[in-house]
Amino acid sequence: MFSNTLDNYAHNNNLNGMNTYFKVLFGIVTMLVSLISTSPVVPLIIALFMSILIVFIAKVSWKFYLKFFLFPFSFGLITFIFMAIFFGVGAHILELGIFNLAVTADGFNLGLLVFARMMGGFTCLAFLALTTPMTELFSVLRLIKIPQIVLEIAMLMYRYIFVFLDEAINMYHTQETRLGYSSLKKSFKSMGMLGSNLFIRTWMKGEQAFIAMESRCYDGSIKTMKKQGSIKTMGTRNLVLLVLFEVVLIMGVYFTGSFRIF
Amino acid sequence: MNIIETKNIIYQYPDGTEALKNVNFSATKGKIVMLMGPNGAGKSTLFLHFNGILRPTSGSLKIDGAPVSYQRQDLMKLRQKVGIVFQNPDDQLFAPTVAEDVAFGPLNIDLPEEEVKSRVKEALKRVDMEGFEERPPHYLSGGQKKRVAIAGILAMRPEIMVLDEPTSGLDPKGAFQIMRLLCKLNREGITIIIATHDVDIVPIYAHEVYVISEGEILKKGTPQEVFEDKELIRKANLRLPHITHEEDQISFGKSYPLTVSEAKKRIVEMTRDYKKFN
Repeated sequence: MFSNTLDNYAHNNNLNGMNTYFKVLFGIVTMLVSLISTSPVVPLIIALFMSILIVFIAKVSWKFYLKFFLFPFSFGLITFIFMAIFFGVGAHILELGIFNLAVTADGFNLGLLVFARMMGGFTCLAFLALTTPMTELFSVLRLIKIPQIVLEIAMLMYRYIFVFLDEAINMYHTQETRLGYSSLKKSFKSMGMLGSNLFIRTWMKGEQAFIAMESRCYDGSIKTMKKQGSIKTMGTRNLVLLVLFEVVLIMGVYFTGSFRIF
Repeated sequence: MNIIETKNIIYQYPDGTEALKNVNFSATKGKIVMLMGPNGAGKSTLFLHFNGILRPTSGSLKIDGAPVSYQRQDLMKLRQKVGIVFQNPDDQLFAPTVAEDVAFGPLNIDLPEEEVKSRVKEALKRVDMEGFEERPPHYLSGGQKKRVAIAGILAMRPEIMVLDEPTSGLDPKGAFQIMRLLCKLNREGITIIIATHDVDIVPIYAHEVYVISEGEILKKGTPQEVFEDKELIRKANLRLPHITHEEDQISFGKSYPLTVSEAKKRIVEMTRDYKKFN
């Protein structure tokens, strides 16, 4: 069950044993560098670097990663195309020949930059999502003083996503057994029934969970054990490596800042 | 001494239907008590009275000789004393990791951090689930989830443990492990109350048995006494243990055996007697 999910990869990958704070800091700082870059060069390098980390070092199945990557990639590509055509003024570099549409150098550069930043930012997040289990992220979130109520809701959501995923898969199978998805029209109907049924289930499960929690002296707030551990557990070596890496990237941003294809 | 005692408990749903009708239930301290009944007989409803989640419409409930008080502070103490393990462990396990879930109860009764940690460790050790601390519950098997749910209750150090269908949905090995664990806990001094409709496990583990059907207690006694009344068992939509059905073919004399080991013993005895006479 759940073998090909993000969560499973987050729990079982080669970078699992690495310090959580290091991974979070690395992911976020690199993402920020990708965002402040004024040329597409550094973000694209970051995207490539992160992808290599995910597939070859963390050993996440490349098929899964490719599928995961495809959605933001296609979204980014569409953004790129639209920006290239509709944004910017000045000399045309390519006439489309219909409706007087044309690609301008300005628009092209802007589109490419946005696309590159998106890919850079996404791969950093993907690195975090694929190598760090949610359960460990919660302790980082607690450390940076995210409000307790937000954390509680996030924790409950995380747990119940899988409970309901399980139920939804079971329901889907029982519907499929009775040919609920044999035509498009039937599929829509079955899917609707599944959705509404699941909604009612969440209601009932919520009630059950509340009774079970009340039986264990629940008083309205979920208390959690403080995990010892702070940013310091990261180690000097990791910190130095991180700083060096980010400095190199920022220098890259500085030197390629005025780079334009057109 | 009766650690739980209910007197003429009636429970009505808001729509007026009676879920429990004049229930007189008592559990002797340090025993395994089984409540046997078909689906919808009111077993779970009765259990929710034991820790004050539901309040009887009429009748009284005594825990450890004292009537239950529904003051907030007293309820907290009661829930610590009486732990309920629910039928579906997915309803009970809500935290992202096993350790956090087991720690939930002890943290709610405001124990110091160190104490909570040692209790979590101890509880997981008692149910044989060490090494699973940081796992999310959805990667555990049914039996493992059940054991974690039991650990979550154990960590509160209850005197009474109430379990709703502890073996349902488990494979034979998982079910056996749970029952063995419950016997161990019982030997360590916890009174155990189990609702079940698995009649084959009843004579093996129970000291006292209740038969409940449609919100009414039909009979109380030792397994031998309860299963003697075949008519009643059938009326309650239950059946006799498998080995007892053999009685139709082999005559064991006056009372019939309820467990395989007992039947074996009796057969050996009978053949020995037979040889003696010839």
